[in-house]
Amino acid sequence: MAEPTKETRKLEKIRILGELERGLDDVDKVLATGKTDIELDFSACTFISVDGLEWLEEFLLRADSLKSSVKFVNVQSPVYKVFKVAHIDSLMRACGSPSQDAQGLVC
Amino acid sequence: MTVSSEQELMLTQRANHLVRQARLAAAVFTQYSQEKVDKIVRAMTAAAIENAGKLALMAHQETRMGVTEDKILKNLVASEFLYHQIKDKRSVGITREFPDLNMVEVAEPMGVIFALAPVTNPTSTVIFKSICCAKTRNTVIFSAHLMAAESSNYAAKIMYEAALAAGAPKGFITWVDKSSRLRRTSELLMSHPEVDLIFATGGTQMVKAAYSSGKPALGVGPGNTPVYVHKSANVLSAAMDIIISKTFDNGTECPSEQTLVIDREVSEQLLNEFKRLGCHLCTQEEVEKVADLIIDSRSGGINYKLVGQPANLIADQAGLNITQPIKMLLCPLNGELRHHKLAIEKLMPVLGYVIVDSVNEGINKALDINYAGGTGHTAGIFCEDDDVIERFSDAINAGRIIVNSPASIGGLGGVYNHLNTTLSFGCGTGGGNITTDNVGIKNLINFKRVPRRRNYVISFQTTKNIYINPGSIDHLKSLKCQSAFIITSRSASRRGHLAQVTERLPQDCQVDIFSDMGPEPDFAMIQRVVAAMRHSQPDTVIALGGGSVLDAAKIVRLFYDYPELKISEIAVNFLDFHHRMIEFPKDMKTQLVAIPTTSGTGSEVTPFAVLKDGHRKISLIDECLLPDVAIIDAHLTRSLPADITGDTAFDALTHALEALVSTFSSDYTDGLALEALRLIFESLPETLKNPNNVLYRHKLHNAATLAGMAIGNASVGVNHALAHALGARFDIPHGRANGAFLLSTIEYNAQIPSKFVSIPCYPLWVADRKYARAAQFIGLTVEPIEGETEEAKGLRLVHKLRQAVYDLAKLAKQPLSIAELGIPLETYMAAIPELTEIAFSDMSIRTNPRYTLAPEVAQLFANAYAPRERP
Repeated sequence: MAEPTKETRKLEKIRILGELERGLDDVDKVLATGKTDIELDFSACTFISVDGLEWLEEFLLRADSLKSSVKFVNVQSPVYKVFKVAHIDSLMRACGSPSQDAQGLVC
Repeated sequence: MTVSSEQELMLTQRANHLVRQARLAAAVFTQYSQEKVDKIVRAMTAAAIENAGKLALMAHQETRMGVTEDKILKNLVASEFLYHQIKDKRSVGITREFPDLNMVEVAEPMGVIFALAPVTNPTSTVIFKSICCAKTRNTVIFSAHLMAAESSNYAAKIMYEAALAAGAPKGFITWVDKSSRLRRTSELLMSHPEVDLIFATGGTQMVKAAYSSGKPALGVGPGNTPVYVHKSANVLSAAMDIIISKTFDNGTECPSEQTLVIDREVSEQLLNEFKRLGCHLCTQEEVEKVADLIIDSRSGGINYKLVGQPANLIADQAGLNITQPIKMLLCPLNGELRHHKLAIEKLMPVLGYVIVDSVNEGINKALDINYAGGTGHTAGIFCEDDDVIERFSDAINAGRIIVNSPASIGGLGGVYNHLNTTLSFGCGTGGGNITTDNVGIKNLINFKRVPRRRNYVISFQTTKNIYINPGSIDHLKSLKCQSAFIITSRSASRRGHLAQVTERLPQDCQVDIFSDMGPEPDFAMIQRVVAAMRHSQPDTVIALGGGSVLDAAKIVRLFYDYPELKISEIAVNFLDFHHRMIEFPKDMKTQLVAIPTTSGTGSEVTPFAVLKDGHRKISLIDECLLPDVAIIDAHLTRSLPADITGDTAFDALTHALEALVSTFSSDYTDGLALEALRLIFESLPETLKNPNNVLYRHKLHNAATLAGMAIGNASVGVNHALAHALGARFDIPHGRANGAFLLSTIEYNAQIPSKFVSIPCYPLWVADRKYARAAQFIGLTVEPIEGETEEAKGLRLVHKLRQAVYDLAKLAKQPLSIAELGIPLETYMAAIPELTEIAFSDMSIRTNPRYTLAPEVAQLFANAYAPRERP
């Protein structure tokens, strides 16, 4: 099956609700179709756990391998600060922010 | 790949894994509330208490150091006592408020902490640091001592599981597993870029490595605790406390006593008590044997195999013939203490002692120990004399000086005293550390200070009693005074004003007069008048004349009342009145009555006094300079010549304009300044036309006083700085000097500043709008232009104001340029650098609405030379 071209790709907007404690199967499924760019809306995300962070990082890796674009939007300050302190570059890129460290990922 | 590089890669991967866990947990921890954190801390504390015995036993079995029962106590101190101290402390969000300073502190976690745990306290240190990290929302990676790694790591596991169950982030506590590569892994972690802080409690080498990593580090220094037993001490209690302390965990606690310094008067009683309680007093021969055993002859340091071992074991190994159980070995350190082999830290129940004959000798011996490897750590004193305790504390360099308590358990904090509970003893710079704290939660928080803008207090002060109508000089008839000293000028005498004053003073009032006050007096003149006053001992000074006379009288009264003052000390410049370094007297003893005979300076209502000092003028400013009474009687100005009327009116005009736009202006001073302006524009032309018309003289006189009140509280600006410099350099009357710059400075201040003034009471630059308001207040208008902005309209009003000032000056024959003052161009231009320097340091410039840069001052001087056209 041919890969969808840019023009045929859909943009799927998904809202993260409440506490992101672990991976979200529904979101994984959307990504697995390989035909969608994804916008994760964090406006209603109130907390993010270590598992949640690890899932996001892995999700972005998978999206990258599927050539899907993932954007984080409406990230609230407490969660944005978690991304900042976590020092995970892919999360920052998904937020549209510059890398924090010229060295890039260290761990 | 070689075996060693494979191993190195594995270790690096292991270190990266540990740090990654900690990093993610640290990120997640930032979201936790105080309540959530406190719940975790509570759960961890409960787990530590529950496992205190088990962990103590494990630690003892693994390290073969110390005493299990004491290790239990340490575990409980590190959990229960610590919890008691920190449970109600805020460590999330706003941690402290400073309402008086309008400031709060907000906590920011430090992040990922790499923590060392020592062999001497392998479990209690882990308990302590884990709880501290939870309370402060930091994550922690433990690296234990290889000889204690199993017990340390088990303690870490217990704390982590309890924390996790209570909701802590996954990976909040991690640890380096026990292996032969533990040390190398620790080194990798110390220098790992994702570690934010090293919390190093351990051997000297590890602490040194931590500090060498280039990361922020909380370290500890080595101890060598001297304890002074003063003759005033409760000897029996001291003996028991010292035994408790030195035998605690077989002496592994680094704050514990190392050498006793005993006053001779109590030495026999103390040593006998030690003996009675089961300690062994070594002979000189036994001291040598003990020293040979516990001191490593190669390094001169301690034999680590004996750390935390019981006294009997040490005695046996040293070859001492002791059959009964003993608590500790007491070794007299004879000879030169500084060079004695045992004058070092001995982490075992071996205690040195010396006997001294005075407090001085006692403190000096304690200093010998204190500076022999334990600087900054701990010292102790048993003493009931507070003066001796203070002398000891002042001399000894130790982060904690434990009074009348066991030094080791006392140093831990929370048991015998209110020190912060800790297992990590900051030793300050003496021990190579950044803090002398009992390190705890406050050292693990980045405190963010959030200062709100300062509430700048502005007050309004002026002369208390002001008599303001023509004829008010009659008030002198009822003046309460027995002896008056009149300071005046020859012209006032000539114009009959002096007689008007003396005629009205009460009959029984003794009167002395100094009538030789010239214009712009210097301090020598002030001293002459003060000397004259000393003879007549007046209770009242009456200042009669223009601004120079009134200013001089203020200073005369000050030095008459307070002869010990020095002019050089009270004439110190300042940036902010609230912070100035000088202090003036609070109360004046002699009454000052100010009677102005010109309508200009307003000195009768200001806290200022200007004095000539060579080619510059110095200003004294303080409330104490305010006269007690001001008499504003326009009759005294009727004979004023037209030129002086104009000069002084332009001084008042400058006061009003500068006070209006001053950075210290307020609604109070604005009202005064605006009304003063209105009165000047109304009454000066009329006064010049008809000098004897007392109605307009009265308005002009009042205008000067109102403007004086305005500058007395709002101060002046750059115009005065320029005028002071020019006047002093070329002997130009103050009002004329002011007028020469007025058009330039209005234009200058009305432009958007090249640099704004940084002062909290001036949040918005509004000088242009205030000039425009002044223009409107004196009745100037501009035709409306459709679509014109308020700012543009304001600038047209400022232009109108400058035109009005120009017209008034022409009418009053006031010079509006330096050229009109008769100063040659070459002379003036040559003087500009000096004038600029003087003006730039003039205090008047501080309240100008535009931050006046030195080149701008020079430019203002230069621009003021050429004769002016009407704007």
